[in-house]
Amino acid sequence: MSIAQLTRGRVPAPARRAAGRDPLVVAAAVVASAIAVIAVAGPLLAPYDPNQLYVGEVSAPVSLDHPFGTDDLGRDVLSRVLAGAGASVVGPVIVVLLSTLVGTAVAVLSAWFGGVVDGVSTRLVEVIFAIPGLVLAVLAVAMFGKGLVAPVVALSIAYMPIVSRLVRAGARTELGKPYIAALRIQGVGSPTICVRHLLPALLPSILAQATLGFGYAMLDLAAISFLGLGAQPPASDWGVMIAGGQPALLNGAPEQSMFPALLVVVTVLSVNILGARVTSWAEGADR
Amino acid sequence: MTTHVIRQLAGKLGGLLLTLLLASIVIFFAVALTPGDPVTALAGGVRPTPEMIEAIRAEHHLDDPVWMQYLRWVGGVLHGDLGDSYVYGTSVASLIAPRVGISALLVGYTVVLITIVGIGSGILAAVRRRRTEKAILLGTSLGVAMPTFVVAILLIWVFGRVLGWFPVYGAGDGFVDHLYHLTLPAVSLSVLYIAYMSRITRGAIVAQQDAEHVDTARVRGLPRAHVFRRHVLLNASPPILSVSGATIAGLIAVSAVAEQAFGISGIGSLLTEAAARKDLPVVQVLSLLLVAVFVVLNAVVDVAVAIIDPDTVKRRSNA
Amino acid sequence: MTRTVLELEQLAVATPAGRTLVHDCTLAVRAGETLGLVGESGSGKTLSTRAVAGLLPSGFRSTGAIRIDGHDIASLPARDLRDLRARRLGMVFQTPRAHLNPLRSIGDFMTEALVAVAGEKPDAAHRRAVDLLAEVGIRDPERVMRQRPGELSGGLLQRVMIAATLSMDPPILLADEITTALDVTTQEEVMAVIADLRRHRDLAMLFITHDLALAGAVCDRVAVMKDGRTVETLAAATMREDAADPYTRRLLSAALPPERDDAAAPRREDPVLVVEGLRKTFQVRSPRGRRERFVAVDDVSFSLAAGGALGIVGESGSGKSTTARIICGLETADAGTVAVKGEPWTRPARGAPARRARAGVVQMVFQDPYQSLDPRQTVRACLAEAVAVHRRLAPRREIDRRVAELLAAVRLDADLADARPRALSGGQRQRVAIARALAAEPEILVLDEAVSALDVTTQVEILTLLDTIRRETGVALLMISHDLTTVRRLCDRVAVMHSGRILEQGTIAEVLDAPSADYTRALLDSIPRPGWTPRRRLPPRTSHQPAAAQAAARIVTTGGHP
Repeated sequence: MSIAQLTRGRVPAPARRAAGRDPLVVAAAVVASAIAVIAVAGPLLAPYDPNQLYVGEVSAPVSLDHPFGTDDLGRDVLSRVLAGAGASVVGPVIVVLLSTLVGTAVAVLSAWFGGVVDGVSTRLVEVIFAIPGLVLAVLAVAMFGKGLVAPVVALSIAYMPIVSRLVRAGARTELGKPYIAALRIQGVGSPTICVRHLLPALLPSILAQATLGFGYAMLDLAAISFLGLGAQPPASDWGVMIAGGQPALLNGAPEQSMFPALLVVVTVLSVNILGARVTSWAEGADR
Repeated sequence: MTTHVIRQLAGKLGGLLLTLLLASIVIFFAVALTPGDPVTALAGGVRPTPEMIEAIRAEHHLDDPVWMQYLRWVGGVLHGDLGDSYVYGTSVASLIAPRVGISALLVGYTVVLITIVGIGSGILAAVRRRRTEKAILLGTSLGVAMPTFVVAILLIWVFGRVLGWFPVYGAGDGFVDHLYHLTLPAVSLSVLYIAYMSRITRGAIVAQQDAEHVDTARVRGLPRAHVFRRHVLLNASPPILSVSGATIAGLIAVSAVAEQAFGISGIGSLLTEAAARKDLPVVQVLSLLLVAVFVVLNAVVDVAVAIIDPDTVKRRSNA
Repeated sequence: MTRTVLELEQLAVATPAGRTLVHDCTLAVRAGETLGLVGESGSGKTLSTRAVAGLLPSGFRSTGAIRIDGHDIASLPARDLRDLRARRLGMVFQTPRAHLNPLRSIGDFMTEALVAVAGEKPDAAHRRAVDLLAEVGIRDPERVMRQRPGELSGGLLQRVMIAATLSMDPPILLADEITTALDVTTQEEVMAVIADLRRHRDLAMLFITHDLALAGAVCDRVAVMKDGRTVETLAAATMREDAADPYTRRLLSAALPPERDDAAAPRREDPVLVVEGLRKTFQVRSPRGRRERFVAVDDVSFSLAAGGALGIVGESGSGKSTTARIICGLETADAGTVAVKGEPWTRPARGAPARRARAGVVQMVFQDPYQSLDPRQTVRACLAEAVAVHRRLAPRREIDRRVAELLAAVRLDADLADARPRALSGGQRQRVAIARALAAEPEILVLDEAVSALDVTTQVEILTLLDTIRRETGVALLMISHDLTTVRRLCDRVAVMHSGRILEQGTIAEVLDAPSADYTRALLDSIPRPGWTPRRRLPPRTSHQPAAAQAAARIVTTGGHP
């Protein structure tokens, strides 16, 4: 054990292991699972029809009948939040899946073949990287019209370079290690080396990046809906609800915006906490 | 600056121009290949007669090959002719010009907040252990989950309804009034980035504090402040600078959300509106503008980093 | 009896989790004396030294007494302690490149302690820094003052480190493995500088090293450390006779030149590998950022007899590893030919069947046992994969049997088959790597610095194992090494490489006992031994190797907000 190993990072190893039983991480996992359940079964759990007008008073405060209050059209906010969870969560999941798959594939091919393949794909990735995700999403809306499909595809493309850069750097480090050279000298085939050795080595950092990417994608997609370019009313996407409730804020009825906002924050927060945990695990796996 | 730094920067500049060129091609062709006939949009809502179609196509050179149209567009942009809006019929330049100032002020205000509070709290968290560090880490964990629109509605509720200290709508008149009006939008824009910068700053500093060359400085008995300034902070600054550049560049796009929430008519709200109404010439130019700002800002940061650490470009190309 | 300037008494160091890494380090350094502190990795020698310098990782606690100039450091206020350490102690580290701030010039580094601690004026500090650099044998110190660490070679940086520690005129120097990362000839130069300083200054030194021969050659007394304890302290001149502790005796015997038994090695004269006129250049960037072509291998020719053992010796940058990589198909030569069993192997194999066929003839063992095994694979999975390449349709049972055979061949306990590399020692990992190479039943085994990362006692074990395997299987060995002693132990022929060229080659006796090239003589002379006087001989190399060896110290931030 060298000094470098002993001193790396501020948190000593036993403390890091204890983080596995960190109550914060456990809580985050519970919240994230709950959100996942809502995303799948939200409409079934909703006490009212989310689009039914005037199920209660207009802009009613929190009550037993309407735990999250009602909006300016008398719709039940809790039911709308539950019904909108699916759209709010599935979009980011697709963004993460697409950007991770494409980004990883590009990065691994680029690192493996090097030379021209690497040069071209790196330049391409740089160009996409220069277009901020939100701009690409807005551009997509301008081209294909409002709705969630175009922004989801646009963000998948925009997030790809972040994954690709990270994975390419990791893959190059890994490919430079002698165990890969040893496998090649043994005559193990390239696809086998990539799938059985390279990808497992990269998996922790890919997972860590994917978790963090989910949070960012959720915020970006909600922002697009907030701008009125994503999901369209009467859909109860959380971004749409936050924007829709804005006028009521000044009339003293903050519930309509605050509850969906709270859900966005709590979701991103819990996923980020899990992401940080995965990241420290990924760093540990590097040793 | 030595010659090899200049050479590296020249190479970098070439790369940037190439990136800009490719980005302009992506933006132009994406829009040019958009489904739907631009003639419909250009006719301004009336069903065009065949003669009108003929006239519109001729006026906008729509029968030329696509690459000719691209060259004409790029040439125009380089000469300050940004084309005409489909929706308003006026020139894109006349739409952008009155809005640039207020957007720049908003972004500038936000940058000041991010730099002072974000980097400041990051340094503090790295230097002070225990309670201060814990508190800042907790705050930043929450902060990175607080997007602009959430902070905006919180501020609008708190200040617009409950406290009433700051205006929650419009940009006001005159510089001081502008600042007054832009305070809440700037705060709402900055919270997430403050938290992010704070974490990056702390991480970079902590990494340097554990570096072996800092051990050398310590064992030589150098005063702690000297070690921190000349060895820890100096060496932590390249990553902090790089991330700052990317963050600020991305900010301009996000400012659309703050402008929307607080009813400010700036570049961001123009982009949103143009996208919603399929005003493609406006979207094209604004996208290109945002990309250009992003690329140029990153270039400036690269130069700054190269001055602090002349080996960085070399290391990056070897890595 | 002279004054004691540094004293450690029952020093113990524990981790924040309470694990004790150093149990009892007791030693005393007298004024003007050099005390060697010798031990293998994990013995606690470096931690003990860092406790003296105040550089323990945060949360680590030390108990027992450390006395600098008679002051118990536990009794001093923090401010006085920092001042005492700054003025009385100098410390030089193993890796000078990591221990110098890469962003600041050598001049800044040399003068900052003079200005900030000793309160000298900047121009006076500058003059003094130039004098100090000249004192450690740096030519053109004014130019070096303007350069950054990235522009200088490791040996030069180590001298800068030494010069900088001297700026405060400390009576005590802590030298922690200061030559371990350097080539032997560079090591000799640095040790010559140290010897000069000791002659001209009244300097006491605590010299930490894993190399008992080096310690014996340069120290007055030697303390031996094992598993966190100092086991005994001996006078360097008579340590062979005086050593009482069995561990010291083992270390001593490992450092001895080997007994050779040439007769038993099977030798056939037909060459299994013939290399002719090999040349390889790389594009590199000079420290000034220009693209340059670096000639790594230049007109290299040699042959390896079937069942023979050829050593290729050279220092870093000599091209020996590149030569090995070309033979194994990891690099492509620019010119020249490689022939294995008469077949042309110059171009790397294309296609999976061709690569498998070559894999059955040539195998390689790498230097770093920590990185040459996939950390996610168990020993069994690793060996099974290597076996399955050549027996694609073999049933599971046959593969298991072969894995067991391989483990037995490298004398590795079968219980370890389900362990992952993390749980193995360096020597055990290297045995796995050898077993993996043997899985293909190769005719040539290329050993690229295969023992240099190991402790000396483990080195001897692995070398003995390799020798046994060669006798049992008749595999030919091509050993790439910087270490003449290990080559002498294992090989029957040797080629000496320098700057990409082979300077001379022949049998061990021809080359190592009666060298014809000056460089070979210099290499032999720079090996530390009793009665050794390090000399400055070669013109110092001023620029660092253009190889991409320098570590990228940048921080990769994950998860930037898009």
